Amino acid sequence: MTYQEEYAQALGERVTFDPQILRSYDHDLGEMPGVLMALIKHRPSVVVAARSVGDVQQALLLAGKRGIPVTPRGQATSGYGGAIPSKGGLVLDLSNMNSVLSVDAANATVDVEPGVVWEQLSKDLAPHGLDNRVCPTSAPSSTVGGWFAMGGVGIGSLRYASIRDNVLEIDVAGLDGAVTTYSGQDMDVFHQTCGSLGVITRLRLACRAAEHLTPYALWLPTAAKVASFLTEAETVLEPYSASVQSSGYCAMRAEADGHPPVIEGGFLVSLAFLGAGATRDEVSRLTLAHGGKLLLEMEAETEWADRFYPMRIKKVGPSALVGEFYIPLEGFSACWRELTATLPKDKLGLEAFAVKGGRLAVLVYILDDAGALLYPLRMAKAMIPLHVAARHGGKAYASGMWFAAMAEKIFGPGKFARAKRQKQKLDPRGLMNPGKLKGPGLPFLPFVSLSRLILFGTALIAPVAARISYSRHNAS
Amino acid sequence: MSTSGHALRQPEEYTMKELTNAVDTCARCGFCKVSCPTYPFGGGFETFSPRAKVYFLKDYYEGRAELTPEWVDRLYRCTTCERCQSVCQTAIPLVHLWEGIRSEIVQKGLGPMPAHKKLRALAEEFGNPYGEPATKQSQWMLPEHKPVDSAELLIFGGCTASYRMPPMLQTGVTILTRLGIPYAYAGGREQCCASPLLRTGQLETAEGLIARNLDLFASTGARQIVTPCGGCSKTLKHDYPVWAKKLGKSFDVEVLHFSEVYVRLIREGRIKPVKRVEKTVTFHDPCHVGRSQGLFGEPREILAAIPGVRLVEMPNSREQSRCCGAGGGVKANYPQMAAEIARDRVNEAIATGADMLVTMCPFCQGSFAQAIKELGASIELSGLEALLLESVTP
Repeated sequence: MTYQEEYAQALGERVTFDPQILRSYDHDLGEMPGVLMALIKHRPSVVVAARSVGDVQQALLLAGKRGIPVTPRGQATSGYGGAIPSKGGLVLDLSNMNSVLSVDAANATVDVEPGVVWEQLSKDLAPHGLDNRVCPTSAPSSTVGGWFAMGGVGIGSLRYASIRDNVLEIDVAGLDGAVTTYSGQDMDVFHQTCGSLGVITRLRLACRAAEHLTPYALWLPTAAKVASFLTEAETVLEPYSASVQSSGYCAMRAEADGHPPVIEGGFLVSLAFLGAGATRDEVSRLTLAHGGKLLLEMEAETEWADRFYPMRIKKVGPSALVGEFYIPLEGFSACWRELTATLPKDKLGLEAFAVKGGRLAVLVYILDDAGALLYPLRMAKAMIPLHVAARHGGKAYASGMWFAAMAEKIFGPGKFARAKRQKQKLDPRGLMNPGKLKGPGLPFLPFVSLSRLILFGTALIAPVAARISYSRHNAS
Repeated sequence: MSTSGHALRQPEEYTMKELTNAVDTCARCGFCKVSCPTYPFGGGFETFSPRAKVYFLKDYYEGRAELTPEWVDRLYRCTTCERCQSVCQTAIPLVHLWEGIRSEIVQKGLGPMPAHKKLRALAEEFGNPYGEPATKQSQWMLPEHKPVDSAELLIFGGCTASYRMPPMLQTGVTILTRLGIPYAYAGGREQCCASPLLRTGQLETAEGLIARNLDLFASTGARQIVTPCGGCSKTLKHDYPVWAKKLGKSFDVEVLHFSEVYVRLIREGRIKPVKRVEKTVTFHDPCHVGRSQGLFGEPREILAAIPGVRLVEMPNSREQSRCCGAGGGVKANYPQMAAEIARDRVNEAIATGADMLVTMCPFCQGSFAQAIKELGASIELSGLEALLLESVTP
C-alpha cells in the first residue's frame, strides 16, 4: 500500500493530495522572493485537515512509520516561516480543531484545542465572566496553539507578559501517536519551537476577569519621552496594555484610510486600563510631566477599536518590509535615532507593544512593492532594524524558519540546549517541522543553513539596500 | 473595526491593473477566512477560504495558474455576502474580485454553474429567473392596492417577492396605500433586476434586462423607486448607475429599500405605531441590505418604534451578521450548502430566546422559512413590515 492509500484509508476526506490545495499551504504571511523559496521544498505533498486528537495521532503515526516530515500549521499568520514546510511532506492543518474544551471559572482557566481563534475565545469566555489575558493583534484569525508555538507578545503584555507566561499546561502528540502532558519548564521547549518537538493538541490558559477596558491616547514628543513615560506608567498607573506608534506610522495609516493623521510628529501612545483603572486626570498629569499631551476620548476609542488592524498600511504599499525586535526601554531612544539615521531615504513606520518588565516589542515598517525588480535587494533592509537594535540591547522577536540560526540567542542558551536534547529524544530522525531549530540546509549543501546564509547575506547587502528606496514611498 | 463604508466601485469600474494591485495588498491575515460562511464547507482546507482565493487570483493574474474546473467551482461557492470585505485589513474590494473573475469565467466559456445557466435561460425567455409568465407578475396585489399611472414613487416588486415570497411586498404596498401615498407599478413589464446574473458573471444577459428596466423607469417618470428586496435594492442602487452610464441611458432616480421609506414616514409622524405587539424578536440583517447599503440603524429604529417589541440581538449582528446562504447564486447551485448556512443562522436566532426571527428581504425570508421547517423549530418568522402594519392597524 502506498503512503497515499494509507493516509486516505486512515483519514478519509480529511486528507488531500490535490496539487491545487497543496499550493495554499506553501507560504505564510511573508512575501519572500521566489529565489529564496526555491531553495527549500516548501510545497507539501499531503495535507491533513485534522478535526480531532485522533486525527493528529493517525497522521503522526503514519508520518513516523513512513519517514514523512510534518509541519503543523494554525492560521499561518506569522511571517517567520514557522508554518512553511522546508522538506515538503505533510502539513497538519490544525485550524479546524477549534473547540473550547472546558472552562474552570473558579480557577480562571480554560482548556482549548490548538485551533481556537483568540477573538472568538474572548467571546466564548464572556458568559463565564472571563477574558483572555493577552492576545496578538491578529486575534480575529490567529490561533492559540499557533501563537504559543511561535511565541510572542501583544495586547495585555504590559500586565501579563508573553503568551508563554499565560499557558499553564499543554498536551503534545508525538510521532509515536502518544499524547503527553507538559507544564512548567518541561513545557518551555515547546514554546517558540514551531511544533518541531511535537504537535500541541490542547492548551490550558490562565484567564483574567472580564472587565470593561478604558482606553486613553496621548502624544509624546520623542522616543526618549516615550521610554521615560512607559517606565513610570508601568508602576504608577499600572495599565493593562500599552502600544506606541510613530508619527510616520500614523501617516501611513492615515493615507490608507484617507483621513488626516492623528498626530503630526513625535509618537502616539495608546493605553488601556482594566475597569475604570487610572483616572483621566492621573493619566493627563503623567503625560504632561513627560512633555506630552492627552488626546481626546474619541481619538482614544478609535485607536483601541483599530487595534487589530495594523496591516492596513499595506493598502498603500502594496507590500511592507517589516523588521521586528525586542528592545529594553532604556535603549529605545538611541535605537530609534540610529535607525532613522541609517535609513534616511525611507519613510519609516514604527509600532510597538510594551511588555512587562520594561521592554518593547517593536515592528518597523518600510512600504515597498514585492513585484518590483529591486525588491529582493531592498528586502535586506528588513534586517537593519534588528542589527541596530542589537547594538542597543535588543534581540530578535522570533525565529521561525528564516531566523532559526538565531534560535539560541532568542530562546536563551539553556532553553535552546534543552530543546535540542528533547529533539534528539523525541524526534531523532528530524521529521517534526524540520529546519526550525537551526534552519533548513541548502539543497546541494545540506550542511549550510539557509537561515545562516540569509543572515550573512542580508548583513552584507543591507548597507547597499539602505541606499535604495522604493520611489513611491521614499522620504523626500 | 471594519472597512464597510469605504466607497467601493462596481467590478466594471476597476481596471485589470487596479484589481491586480488590490490582490497584491492582501496581508494574508486570514480575517476573511474566519468570517466566511462558505469556507467551512470545503473540508476544512485553506484553499476554500477567501484568503486562498485571493492568493490564487494573484497566481492567475500573473500567469502561474489556470482556471481549472475545481477553481471555477470554488469561485462560485460564495454568497457575495461581503463579510470578507468588511473585515479585510487592506480594504480589498473582495466581492468585486469574485464577481469580476466570475464574468471572466463566463467569457471564457468555463462557467457559470449549471443552475446559473438555467437562470439565464429563463431570464432571457421570461424576463425573470423563475420562468413565470409576465401575466403573473401582479398577482401578489391585494384588492385594496391602487397603483396610479404616473407617480413620483415607483414600486419595483422584484422577482422573488412578486412570484415566490409576496408578503413583504404586499404589506409594504398596503402601508403606502393606507397612508394615501400615491405610487405607480409597472406590473407585467418589470424585468428581473439582473442581480442573479450580475453576481454569477453573466453580464451579457444582465445588460439586456438592465437596459429594458432603465427604459421602463424612464417611461414612468418616477423620481423614486422602492423595493422590498435586498438584492434588488443593492443592484438598483449600486449597479444601475454604472450600467446606465455604460449604456448611455438616463437613471436619475433615488432608489430606496422599503425600510428607508418606513423610517422616513415614522420620523415625519405619518406612520404612528400605537398598538402593542408583545413579541421578543431578533433581527437578521440581510447582507445586501446591511453590509451592501449600510442600513443597520433603520430596521432597529422601526422595531424600536413599535410598542411592546423587545429586540434581542444575535451574537453576529449588524456588520458581523451572518449570511442566510442564498446569495451569489449559491442557493441555486449549491442548495444543500445554502440550507445548512440558513439552519446555522436560524439556530443562532433560536439561541437568543426570541419568539420571532424578523428580517427584511424576501430571499432571506424564503431561506429561513425552509430552515425552520427542516429544523422543526417553533420560532416564528416575519417580515419587519408585518409587525409595523400590525402596530398601525386599529
